[in-house]
Amino acid sequence: MVKVGVYVCHCGTNIAGVVDVEAVRAFAETLPGVALARRSLFMCSDTGQEMIKQDIRDGLVDRVVVAACTPRTHEPIFRAACEAAGLNKYLFEMANIRDQDSWVHGQDHAGATEKAKKIVSSAVAKATHLKPLEDKFVDVEPTALVIGGGVGGIFSALELGGMGYKTYLVEKQPSIGGVMAQLDKTFPTNDCSACILTPVMVDAGNHPNIELLTYSEVESVDGYIGNFTVKVRRKQTYIDWNKCTGCGACAEACPAKVPDEFNCGLNERGAAYIHFPQAVPKKAVIDMEHCINCAGRKIGTEPKISKKTGKPMLAPCEKACPADAINRSLPLNPEGELIELKIGTIVVATGYKVMGKESFKEYAPQSPNVITALQLERIISATGPTGGKLLRPSDQVKPKTLTFVSCVGSRDERYHTYCSRVCCMYMIKQARLLKEKYPDLNINMHFIDVRCAGKDYDEYYVGARKMGINIFKGKVGGVEMLPDDKLRVLAYDMESGTPMEYESDLVVLATAIESNEDARKVAQVTGLQFCGAHFFRELHPKLGPVETSVEGLFVAGCCQGPKDIPDTVSQAKGAAAAAAVPLAQGKVKIEPIISEVHPEKCSGCGICVPLCPYDAITLKPYGDRPRAQIDITQCHGCGVCTAACPSGAIVLHGYTEDQIFSQIAALTA
Amino acid sequence: MPAIKIDQDKIKEAVQTIVDLGGDGIRNCVQCGACSAVCPGVKAGFPVLCRLLIRKILNGQLEETIEEVSTWGCQSCNRCTEVCPQGVRPQEVVFAYRRYQAGELAMSASAFGPQMSLYETGHAVTTDATAANREKVGLNPVPPTALQNKAAQKEIQTLLDESPMADLGIF
Ligand SMILES: Cc1cc2nc3c(=O)[nH]c(=O)nc-3n(C[C@H](O)[C@H](O)[C@H](O)COP(=O)(O)OP(=O)(O)OC[C@H]3O[C@@H](n4cnc5c(N)ncnc54)[C@H](O)[C@@H]3O)c2cc1C
Ligand code: SF4
Ligand code: SF4
Ligand code: SF4
Ligand code: SF4
Repeated sequence: MVKVGVYVCHCGTNIAGVVDVEAVRAFAETLPGVALARRSLFMCSDTGQEMIKQDIRDGLVDRVVVAACTPRTHEPIFRAACEAAGLNKYLFEMANIRDQDSWVHGQDHAGATEKAKKIVSSAVAKATHLKPLEDKFVDVEPTALVIGGGVGGIFSALELGGMGYKTYLVEKQPSIGGVMAQLDKTFPTNDCSACILTPVMVDAGNHPNIELLTYSEVESVDGYIGNFTVKVRRKQTYIDWNKCTGCGACAEACPAKVPDEFNCGLNERGAAYIHFPQAVPKKAVIDMEHCINCAGRKIGTEPKISKKTGKPMLAPCEKACPADAINRSLPLNPEGELIELKIGTIVVATGYKVMGKESFKEYAPQSPNVITALQLERIISATGPTGGKLLRPSDQVKPKTLTFVSCVGSRDERYHTYCSRVCCMYMIKQARLLKEKYPDLNINMHFIDVRCAGKDYDEYYVGARKMGINIFKGKVGGVEMLPDDKLRVLAYDMESGTPMEYESDLVVLATAIESNEDARKVAQVTGLQFCGAHFFRELHPKLGPVETSVEGLFVAGCCQGPKDIPDTVSQAKGAAAAAAVPLAQGKVKIEPIISEVHPEKCSGCGICVPLCPYDAITLKPYGDRPRAQIDITQCHGCGVCTAACPSGAIVLHGYTEDQIFSQIAALTA
Repeated sequence: MPAIKIDQDKIKEAVQTIVDLGGDGIRNCVQCGACSAVCPGVKAGFPVLCRLLIRKILNGQLEETIEEVSTWGCQSCNRCTEVCPQGVRPQEVVFAYRRYQAGELAMSASAFGPQMSLYETGHAVTTDATAANREKVGLNPVPPTALQNKAAQKEIQTLLDESPMADLGIF
C-alpha cells in the first residue's frame, strides 16, 4: 500500500488569500492512500522542503504531492528534495492550486476552495499509481553554432570560442557586422560604431576557435541537444576567396548598377562588390542576379577572341583582378557548397530589419526627402554615400529644417503594437550629432512620448533639450509634398493643444524594428517558436530569457525582441554562457517522461509516424513485421502518439493510462 | 478654470454614455494627438476635437463640455480615423458626443435651421444663389431632387419621425 504525503502551500497570500488552505489539508487527509497532510506558508522554502525530506526519511511517506504554485518553476525544486531524501524523484506530483485556481477565481473563495480539493484529489489519485523512472544520458558534441553575425552573434561566438569550444559563426551576408556596422555613432556615449565594432569583428575573424561561414545559410538542423546535425549552404561567391585579397579592383571595374543595401539604397554598387569598407572577411562577391555578363562572359563559357587584337575578351571584373581570383570560364555551381556540421548547442542571433517607408502613405513616401532613420544613419556616416555630409537626397543641398517623426509603424495596431525600444534614443542621438555639427540647423522632433529608460539615457535626452533641439509631444499626423522638394509637416502640440503646420526640407521616419523575412525559415529549420509580435519566443519572459522551448537552442539580440546594443551584447553573452553548460558537462540528461512503444501490441499501422511533431517515430522491423519505434533522444513526451495509437501500444511514462483514468475518476467522484 | 476632481463614477458614466452612443473605441485612446494633427476642424479653430474631446470625456467632464461648439466643426472627413494608431475611430467618438449634445438640446444654433429645412424640404441647406445659377443656364431653378418630389419628402419626414430626432421636438 502506498503512503502519499500531501503538502498544501499558502504561497504567502497568493493561495491562502483565496483558498481555505486548512480545509484543503483536512480534506486531503481523508483521501485513499494519503498517509499524512501538512501545510506551510512557503513550501518551497528550506523549512517546507525539510518537512518533506523528514517525512520521507522517517518512512512516513513514499509518494509526495505538493499543492502549490506551478510545475513550470517549482517541480524541479520538489523533485530534488525527494531525491535528496532518497525517494525516486518521479514519485512526486504537483497540484497547481495557484495558477489554475486562486489566481483565476480570486472573487470566489468558497468555489476556489472546492476546486482546490478537486485538484488535490486528482493529483493524489495519480500519485498512488506513479512508478519510479530513471533519467537517461547521452554524450555531447563539444562544438557550438551561432546563426547570425551581427553584434549579438559576434559576441556569442567570441564567448564560446573564448571558453575553448570550436564555434561556427554562420552569416548570410558576405561580411559579419549586422546593422551595427551601418550605424554612425552610438548612444548614449556617442562612440563611433565602426571604431568599437571593427576590432571585435577582426577578433572574431582571427580567433583560433571561431570559423566564420559568411555568405552562408543554415539549410537544416536535425538531431537533439548535444547532437545536432546541421547543414549549411555556402552560397556561390563566383570569386575564389582563397585568392581574393579584398583590393576592390573588381568592384571599381564592374559597370552593373544595383542599389547598395549597405547604404540602404541611397547609392549604387556593382554586381561585383565588397559588402562595406571594413568587412570581415574582406572579400568580394559577384551578385549573379545583377551581373550583366559583360563581353558575353556567362559563367562556365570560354571567352570570345577579339577580332582586333586576337586576344581573349574578358569581363572587366576578371581583367581588373590582380590576384586572378575571378575566372568566369570555370563551371561554378550556382548552388554553392553544402557543409555538414556536428553541433552540440546553437545560439540564434539573426537580428531584425527596419520597416521601409512605403507602407506609410500619410508620410509622403514618394518624396526622396522622406527617409528612414537607418538611411539618415548612412547619410551622416563617414563611410556613407555623402561621406558624412548632411545633404538631402533630392538635390544634394544641405537642409535648413529637419523633422523627426517617431513611432512610425510601432505602437500602432495597424502595424506593430509593440514599442521598438531604440528609436527615441537613436533619434535623439542623430539630432544631437547633427546639432553639434550644424548649430544653425533647425531640428523638430515629434514624439508620442519620449522613452529613455536606462543608465545615462534620460540625461542624454535632457541634454538634447538644452542644446536647443525642439521637442514636441504629439504624433505627426501627415507629411505632404510641396513644390521645390519641400515638405509640409502636419503635427500637433499636445501640451498647448494646438495644431502645427510648417515646412521642412528633410523628414526622418523612425520606422519600426521588425523580424526579418528569413526568420520564418530559421524557425522552420530549428523548431523555434514565434511570439505574438513575430520575434522568437524565449522559454520564459523573466526566468528563461535566452533559453527556448527547443533544448540546446538559445536566442540573443533583436531576433528575440527589439533592443539596443548594450542589451544585445548582454543577452549574447548570457546565451553563450547557457549554451556552454551542456558542452562543459559533456553529457545531457534526457527526462524519462517520454513515450515508448510496446512492440508486441503494435500492429505496425504507422498512424503515429506522421503525427509526431518531432519526427521521433520510425517503423523498424520487429519479428516478422515492421513496428513503430521511438527515438528517446527526439521524443518530447507530448503524448500525441499515445492518444492516437489504435492498438494502445504506446505508453507515455509519467502519464500512463491507469494514472490518467484514476485522475478522471477522482475528478468525477 | 476650476481644477478637475478625479471622480471615478463620473468618468465611468461619461465613457459609458459615449460608448452607448457609438463611440466605443474611446478607451483605446493613448492621447498621441495624431488625429488632431490632421483635423481640419482643429485647424479652423475648433480646438476641442478628436484628441482633446476624448481627453475631456476620459476625465469625466461630460456635462462640463456640453456647450462646446467644436464638435459641430467636425467635417466627417475621417482623416482622424485614417491616422489613429489605436483604432479609436475618433470621428465616431465626436459623433457620439454630438448625439449626447443633441439629446440634451445643446446643439449649436446653426444646427437647428438645417434640421428643420431637412424635415420640410428634404435638403438641409438650400440657397437662393443656386436657383439663380440654374436659371441662368436654362435649368429649372428647383433641382430634380427631394425638393421637387413630395413623395420623397414624405419619406424623409417619416424616417425622421421614427428616429430619435423626433423626440427632440425640433420639427
Ligand atoms: C537607425 C538605428 C540606429 C540605431 N542606433 C543605435 C545606437 O546608437 N546605440 C544602440 O545601442 N543601438 C542602436 N540601434 C539598435 C542596434 O542596431 C541593435 O541593437 C543591434 O544591431 C542588434 O544586433 P543583432 O546582432 O541582434 O542584430 P543585427 O544587427 O540585425 O544582426 C543580425 C545578423 O544576422 C544575419 N542574419 C539574419 N538572418 C540570417 C540567417 N537566416 N542566416 C544567417 N545570418 C542571418 C544578418 O545578416 C545580420 O548580420 C539602432 C538601430 C537603428 C535602426
Ligand atoms: S561580368 Fe563582372 S564586371 Fe561585368 S557586371 Fe558581372 S561582375 Fe560586373
Ligand atoms: S510523445 Fe510526442 S514527441 Fe514523443 S514520440 Fe510521441 S508524438 Fe513524438
Ligand atoms: S472626421 Fe471630424 S474630427 Fe475627424 S479629422 Fe475630420 S473633421 Fe476632424
Ligand atoms: S489618434 Fe487615436 S490614439 Fe491618438 S489621440 Fe487621436 S484618438 Fe487618441
